[in-house]
Amino acid sequence: MHASVHRSLEGTHEHVARRSHGRPLIELSSLVKVYDTGEVPFTALKGIDLVVDEGEFVGLIGKSGSGKTTLINMITGIDRPSSGQVVVDGTPVHALGENALAAWRGRTIGVVFQFFQLLPTLTVVENVMLPMDFCNVHAVRERESYAMALLEQVEMVDQAHKLPAALSGGQQQRVAIARALANDPPILAADEPTGNLDSTTAEAVFGLFEKLVRQGKTIVMVTHDDDLAARVTRALHVRDGEIVEETRSPLKGSGQGHG
Amino acid sequence: MAEPRWSKIGRDLLAHKIRTLLTVLSIAIGVFAILVVIGGRGMLVESFDSNFPRSVPANATLYTSDFGEELVRAVARQPGVRAADGRRSTVMRFRLGDLRGVEEPPAGVTVAERSRSIEIVSAGDWASSEVERAFADEGVPWPPGPGEVVIERSATQEVDIAQGDSITVDAGDGELRVLRVVGFAHDINAFPAMFSGRLRGFVSMGELTDLRQPEAYNQLVVSMDRADLTRDEASRFAAHLRDDVLAPRGVAVYGMNVPKPNSHFLGDIFRAVALLLLALGIMALLLSGFLVVNTVSALVTQQVRQVGVMKAIGGRSSQIMWMYLALVAAYGVLALLVGLPTGGWWAGWFARFGGGLLNFGDAPATAPGYAIALAIAVGLLVPLAAAYFPIRTGTRISVVNALTRTGMSSAKFGHGFIDRVLGLVRGLPRPVALGLRNTFLRKGRLVMTLVTLTLASTVVMSVMSVRSSMLKTVDDVAAWWSYDVEVSYQQPVNRAAVEREILSTPGVTGAESWILHGASLARPDGSENDAPSVIGLPPASTFIKPRLVEGRWLRPGDVGLVVINTDIANDEGLRIGDTRTFTVRGRELEWRVVGIVQGQMMGSLVFTDREYLSRALGEEGAVGRTVVRTTDTSDAGQRLAGDRLEARLKSAGFVVSGVRTQRGMSTTLANELGILVTFLIVMAVILAAVGIIGLSGTMIINVLESTREIGVMRAVGASHGSIFQVFVTEGVVIGVLSWAFGAVFTYPVSLGLVLLLEKAITIPLSYEFSWSGVLAWLLVVAGISAVASLLPAFRASQVSVRDAIAYE
Ligand SMILES: Nc1ncnc2c1ncn2[C@@H]1O[C@H](COP(=O)(O)OP(=O)(O)OP(=O)(O)O)[C@@H](O)[C@H]1O
Ligand SMILES: [Mg+2]
Repeated sequence: MHASVHRSLEGTHEHVARRSHGRPLIELSSLVKVYDTGEVPFTALKGIDLVVDEGEFVGLIGKSGSGKTTLINMITGIDRPSSGQVVVDGTPVHALGENALAAWRGRTIGVVFQFFQLLPTLTVVENVMLPMDFCNVHAVRERESYAMALLEQVEMVDQAHKLPAALSGGQQQRVAIARALANDPPILAADEPTGNLDSTTAEAVFGLFEKLVRQGKTIVMVTHDDDLAARVTRALHVRDGEIVEETRSPLKGSGQGHG
Repeated sequence: MAEPRWSKIGRDLLAHKIRTLLTVLSIAIGVFAILVVIGGRGMLVESFDSNFPRSVPANATLYTSDFGEELVRAVARQPGVRAADGRRSTVMRFRLGDLRGVEEPPAGVTVAERSRSIEIVSAGDWASSEVERAFADEGVPWPPGPGEVVIERSATQEVDIAQGDSITVDAGDGELRVLRVVGFAHDINAFPAMFSGRLRGFVSMGELTDLRQPEAYNQLVVSMDRADLTRDEASRFAAHLRDDVLAPRGVAVYGMNVPKPNSHFLGDIFRAVALLLLALGIMALLLSGFLVVNTVSALVTQQVRQVGVMKAIGGRSSQIMWMYLALVAAYGVLALLVGLPTGGWWAGWFARFGGGLLNFGDAPATAPGYAIALAIAVGLLVPLAAAYFPIRTGTRISVVNALTRTGMSSAKFGHGFIDRVLGLVRGLPRPVALGLRNTFLRKGRLVMTLVTLTLASTVVMSVMSVRSSMLKTVDDVAAWWSYDVEVSYQQPVNRAAVEREILSTPGVTGAESWILHGASLARPDGSENDAPSVIGLPPASTFIKPRLVEGRWLRPGDVGLVVINTDIANDEGLRIGDTRTFTVRGRELEWRVVGIVQGQMMGSLVFTDREYLSRALGEEGAVGRTVVRTTDTSDAGQRLAGDRLEARLKSAGFVVSGVRTQRGMSTTLANELGILVTFLIVMAVILAAVGIIGLSGTMIINVLESTREIGVMRAVGASHGSIFQVFVTEGVVIGVLSWAFGAVFTYPVSLGLVLLLEKAITIPLSYEFSWSGVLAWLLVVAGISAVASLLPAFRASQVSVRDAIAYE
């Protein structure tokens, strides 16, 4: 069972890889976010326009407080823009209601957090199955084998029945990535996924992302780590709520790159 | 494997065992209370509804001179009569055991050998009796055979008596007769022994000759056809029987009893108890609802980040809401597992206990279905309803808000009035000051916990005041009667002769004899009030201390003038100067009211001059009761004097039908009122338990939510001991505050309860606020809240710096 799931994932990768740099997947236009919780309203995003194509590995880079988290939260629909439009995979995210948004997000974007955020009372494999449960993806009886296949991809099968508290930070983050992949979403969004990990572990997690991009996923990732930032296919520099600079480079490491 | 979101529910239940336990307990208490109250009441009602009509209660009882079977048949033939029966009833003195040939024990040596009163009742044939039927237990000879007596079941409340025992009866002729107790019967119309202080024994008519009684009836019990009969109609019919059926046949009627149709004489007390219990059930339910709100909102707040994550990975608000509702439902199911069996058991206990006290007979084995259904609904619906809003609010939080919560408590401190006041309190040890500060930090929860504990405190302290009011009532009633022992005679006796015997008994310091008869008052509409008793006594008597409400007390030489008590004045609307015709021992007497005295738990009374009454009745020198003062007024002293008097009078040839001591009567009254107090205490204890569970629950939640702060405090050097102190202080402050608020409500609530009880049992009660109860509860609540915070405080003190940082 595991093997067949694995094959189907590989299949997806080949299929998507052939049409890399395909259609635009994420489209932000005139995106503005104003926080009015303080004494004076604060504009965190000042009219962002951005198009991310299918298969890109995008890194958001910038100083603390520049607006990276705010921006990625707009893409995932975790937070709402004050004005402007967010269209992801053809869906106008800014226009969705709370419930539709949650269901849409569960199938379209896998979210990875800095602090892993595994549910403490569920085992590793149950954490991975949870999004399938919420979005009713796969037949109930097949979910566990799909989840095990994902854990195999992130090399966490051995720990499948442990509770998160028994895992190291790097292990927890790999489980969190497997959970983000549970419903086979086209996009992964990660806010400083390596921020809480040592450099070796961070390297392993980043490696996993590179592998996923080669399999055809589109990834948007916030990072502080300059070394890692240098390895994404498209680095966006954020300053004071604006994208001020952009660098593109081919995907490094083994496998086909993009040019 | 279950779907993970449902697994999460189970794991969360297990992960926080203490919280689960407290929540489950608080719901279980609601289920328990409802089941015991509604179920127990239902079981009592069921047993009453099956046993009372089955007994065919009498619509009228006539106390008469001797008559026979043909009169019974004549009465039964009257139109409107469903059935009639004749009875012979005599009150005799008895002692336990076969005492023939046993030397008379020195009076008062052993309490067990003291004599008691027994009402010996016989009917033509107990088995085919048609009115006020009694039912013998399985296998008991019915009617009893020669030399046998069947005892009314409630006797076991008063005396340690069993099948196979013997009792020695004094028939009044100086010879002792032994009756063998062959078993028990249930007579729902008998006054329970606990209240009347005397037993009821059933014998066959044939036994009467042996007991030196004529083989004739002296009571007529009549049951009427119509179900919608009113009391007045029944009363008029009884008068018709007396005047048109009994009188022409030469049968005199000495008294009549016409109860409210289809109502039991203990119905009022039963209703009062049921009402109180219902109030308890509703309050326990309310409080358990509060506790659920408290725990569930804390739980949702604590899991706000998990809610955010679940939403971020695709969970819809409604899905997450259902998860938490399912968690609450799981609490409910667990609570039912605890509450249903325990509640069912106690409902049975309550029904047996209550049924035994009220002598309602066997209770059904299980609580009625509607009570169980209600308890189940309460166990599931109340927590769900209570938890719905906290859960809805908690799960509708936006993902950003949920994810950016720091986990530190967001309550503000330093602004409110209380906070400023606390800031002024200086010189407190640091941990104590911190404990105080913490108490006010989480205001919403504080309010809920305070409300719960305050309600509990109010009820506990009010019950203490109700209890002291009951005791005061007993004292006030006792204060009316300024004597130690009263002796009643089977037949009127010669005053000079008995007083000579009594005054020469050692330990007696004074005696006075009264005339005592039932009296019947004719109403203008032709119906009669046969409740009053008339007492003839010397106007200058010092053995009674009447509290005059209006008019004047009796004066020597009064002729046809009477003083009545408020009971009869209120029942009949009598005023000073009113003249009415009373029938006493078959004689019609015109009496004018000159005074009204406060009635106090002795029914309708008419007082008049002894000399006048004896002349009017043509029984000069005859008295029915002697009241006696003794040197030793203690309980034991009064009993000893009673024993001596009885022995003395017996040897002088007087037939004594009853000896009662003042303290014994107070005890009987206290027992009656004590039932109510007992139920109130049960109620208070349950509510106090809810309050304490609530407090510990709150403290546990507070500790959980403060884990991070505690870690920080530990990191900056706070010792285990001082953390411990912080939380114990917090608990005690909450407990003492609830006491203070509760004390404020205690006066109105206890006064209200006393008034309610007074209405329900139609007995005027005195009121006394219990200061000692208020003080005692302060100590108890401080102690209990310290204990309730021990475990949470201990957990808090064990939090390490690392736990605090790891805590999400
Ligand atoms: N809820 C909020 N209310 C008010 N201001 C906010 C809020 N969230 C963020 N900000 C402000 O918006 C700006 C952008 O914040 P954001 O979290 O996007 O920064 P960031 O680039 O992710 O920083 P970091 O690298 O430290 O995570 C900051 O100046 C921050 O103070
Ligand atoms: Mg950020």
